[in-house]
Amino acid sequence: MLRFSKILFYTTLVLLLVWQLPWCYNFLTSKPTKAPFVLYSSVLGDFILTGNEDGTGIKRRDLSGNEYTQREVDSLLPTFYYRQLMTDERFPDTLQGVPLTVRALQQENFNFRITPSDVNHPYIPLYPLLESMSGRVDLAMPDDVFRITKQGIEFIEMANNTVKEEKSRQFTEALLKKGFTFPSTAIAGNPTTRKEYDEGYLVLDANARLFHLKRTKDRPYVRAIDLPEGLQIKHLFLTEFRNKRSLGFLVDVNHQFYVLETKTYDVQKVSIRAYNPEADAITIFGNMFDWTVRITGAEQDEFYALAADDYSLIKKYEPQKPEKSLAQKLGAYLFPLRLSFTSSSDKYVKPRFH
Amino acid sequence: MENIIECIDLTHYYGKRMIYENLSFSVPRGRILGLLGKNGTGKTTTINILSGYLKPRSGKCLIFGQEIQKMDPVLRQNIGLLIEGHVQYQFMNIEQIEKFYASFYPRWKKEAYYELMNKLKVAPGQRISRMSCGQRSQVALGLILAQDPELLVLDDFSLGLDPGYRRLFVDYLREYALSENKTVFLTSHIIQDMERLIDDCIMMDYGSILIQQPVRQLLDTIRCYTATVPEGFELQPEEGLYHPSVRKNKLEVFSFLPAEDMEAKLKEKQVPFNDLKADKLNLEDAFIGLTGKY
Amino acid sequence: MWKAIFYKEWIKTRWYFVLALLLTLGFAGYCLLRMNRVIVFQGPAHLWEVMLSRDVIFIDLLQYIPLLVGILMAIVQFVPEMHHKCLKLTLHLPYPALRMVMTMLLSGLALLVFCFVSNFLLMGIYLQQVLAPEMTKHILMTALPWYLAGLTGYLLVSWVCLEPAWKRRVINLAISVFVLKIFYMSSTPEAYNSFIPWLFMYTVMATSLSWLSVLRFKIGKQD
Repeated sequence: MLRFSKILFYTTLVLLLVWQLPWCYNFLTSKPTKAPFVLYSSVLGDFILTGNEDGTGIKRRDLSGNEYTQREVDSLLPTFYYRQLMTDERFPDTLQGVPLTVRALQQENFNFRITPSDVNHPYIPLYPLLESMSGRVDLAMPDDVFRITKQGIEFIEMANNTVKEEKSRQFTEALLKKGFTFPSTAIAGNPTTRKEYDEGYLVLDANARLFHLKRTKDRPYVRAIDLPEGLQIKHLFLTEFRNKRSLGFLVDVNHQFYVLETKTYDVQKVSIRAYNPEADAITIFGNMFDWTVRITGAEQDEFYALAADDYSLIKKYEPQKPEKSLAQKLGAYLFPLRLSFTSSSDKYVKPRFH
Repeated sequence: MENIIECIDLTHYYGKRMIYENLSFSVPRGRILGLLGKNGTGKTTTINILSGYLKPRSGKCLIFGQEIQKMDPVLRQNIGLLIEGHVQYQFMNIEQIEKFYASFYPRWKKEAYYELMNKLKVAPGQRISRMSCGQRSQVALGLILAQDPELLVLDDFSLGLDPGYRRLFVDYLREYALSENKTVFLTSHIIQDMERLIDDCIMMDYGSILIQQPVRQLLDTIRCYTATVPEGFELQPEEGLYHPSVRKNKLEVFSFLPAEDMEAKLKEKQVPFNDLKADKLNLEDAFIGLTGKY
Repeated sequence: MWKAIFYKEWIKTRWYFVLALLLTLGFAGYCLLRMNRVIVFQGPAHLWEVMLSRDVIFIDLLQYIPLLVGILMAIVQFVPEMHHKCLKLTLHLPYPALRMVMTMLLSGLALLVFCFVSNFLLMGIYLQQVLAPEMTKHILMTALPWYLAGLTGYLLVSWVCLEPAWKRRVINLAISVFVLKIFYMSSTPEAYNSFIPWLFMYTVMATSLSWLSVLRFKIGKQD
């Protein structure tokens, strides 16, 4: 027993040191990193980097290093700074031959951001299915939530915590009729009333087939989505952007990114190299002409400018990897083994040795 | 005679401070042995080693022939332990504590405990934390008597007791030990109490044992010699002469030598003395004479 | 003899145990009452929606209660043992020292487990009436590491209390603080699910730490 106690004591001590010492070292030596804000300008045909440069304040440059004033940048990014341009009465009538209105811009603009911890986090597998065609202007939360089990889909009435047998049967049958195999492996939706319209959920069934599930006029709407041959979807995101062009974003097992189009249910490949939702963060600023996509990996960022109509690559920008500081190099040498319990890429607590 | 306690070559240090080196002694069955020593000579150290709560740096200490630190727990049924200040579980009352201890000792003598408790005039439900030190000492003693151990180890039993309780404790203990042929090892800072109680004594000096012998023998042989000497005379201590001192023209020295040998010794050392007198001593005076006042 | 040991520990801890039971049930009950108020005033659907859309579990108030209860249990049980070195009496009993220490810890653990299980029962019985099983599990699994921290806290503070030397006691206390910090690394509900078996194993093993202190006590370590 004494030996066991001693082993436990020293193991505890070593683990605590391996955990706390590197943490303290990082805490004392780390400096804030200054990543610039990057947007693609269709007007300029180049990325514009806005960032704080050492000692000289905020600077705006393109990739060649040309510097721009704030006013110039407003004009170079009219879809982003349109409100400033409106105020200055500099808002253009047309852009690249397309007539511009504020309404059209607002309709087409979107931003989309998903971090690894949005994907890797504990959740309750219960989902409210909103009525998508209620005839009312505002969306309303339903009085029930659903779960998908091995047997079917179940709606539970929140007020009395009981299963709505009839509705459950109705929706299970609708799903089965379209070839759904229970249970589901992934469900994506935005169950909130703070959106313009509702598209229900994208659901992957037990055979990795993709389905679109909605509630329209209190009846199930189920659509089996034909995926291109060999495409194995792993992650789903329901977009519900204002322009209603896309229904969702899909990422397959090889980290390839796709757009699922509304109505046609066509799957369009997006020309970015790789995006792994479990490890990388993605940020997309979209407008009627182009998308600026930023993929933030563990090591560095990648920026892509894509054409808004066919998601083809216009331009790519990979900033130089920041040089590791002396403190970081020394730290790696001093602490070959590190233990942490939390991570910026998920919301779980568990031991992780690096 | 069978030795109940046997300590061989005990050496102990606290950090770098030596307490004693190669200390050996033994306690035979049926004897009451008192450990005497000034503060810091290692009385508590010895008691702690004997009760199994201190591992000496070297040497070994056997009780009933077994090394204390590795002793079979069952053997502890036969060792009664009184820790300094008559400490007992403060959170229990008289009945609870009896009930608790009873389940550990097969020879438990409930009557012995309650006999003593009945004299205490405390309510059976009274918590020990609310008792006076004297009352607590009776509870601790009662528990030891009920346990009926072969060996009793008592650490400073007189601490915090008024003379009445001290006398009560000593009398009870002596009667018990004698009638049942129990072995007792004890310390106390009040030597008068010891004189009534103990058969043998060990006197500790810094780092070693000064003497170990039966109290009777000690008191029969030790003498305090006084004589008149010229003022300013100094007698150096040596083998057999303990703590000689001269105040004005009065010499005082302690020794186990008979009067005639003492006289011869002083003459041999060419001490200019008159009026040599020998006085018998009690244990306390003997202790001071042998260990010195400082 | 183990009964007698339980008896002694019971005498030390019984009033505290009643207090701990009332305190934890009181706090858990208060959390449930607050949930009930939401149901009464805003309807069950509101409660469900809030739980499903945000990381809200309504029992955050309980987070440090089991830890506090566990630590106090250790103090109530072992400070009297160390007071005037009463532990000498305990270890002098004709009973193997290791078994003695483990029985003492076991009796404290048993009382804590009783107290904590009563909390889970209270919450479980209420929650399953108003919430779907997934949500009840969500809440209880979030609370589980807190209650585990209570048991670990009890064992670690027992280890600290039984340690005879102050210097080492401070070191042990520092280690305990960091170990307990691991139980409170995230406010995300159910963040610990995969880690709980490991934490549970550590808790079981932490029972052995007190033995280090007792052995040090037995060989007379002091400052």
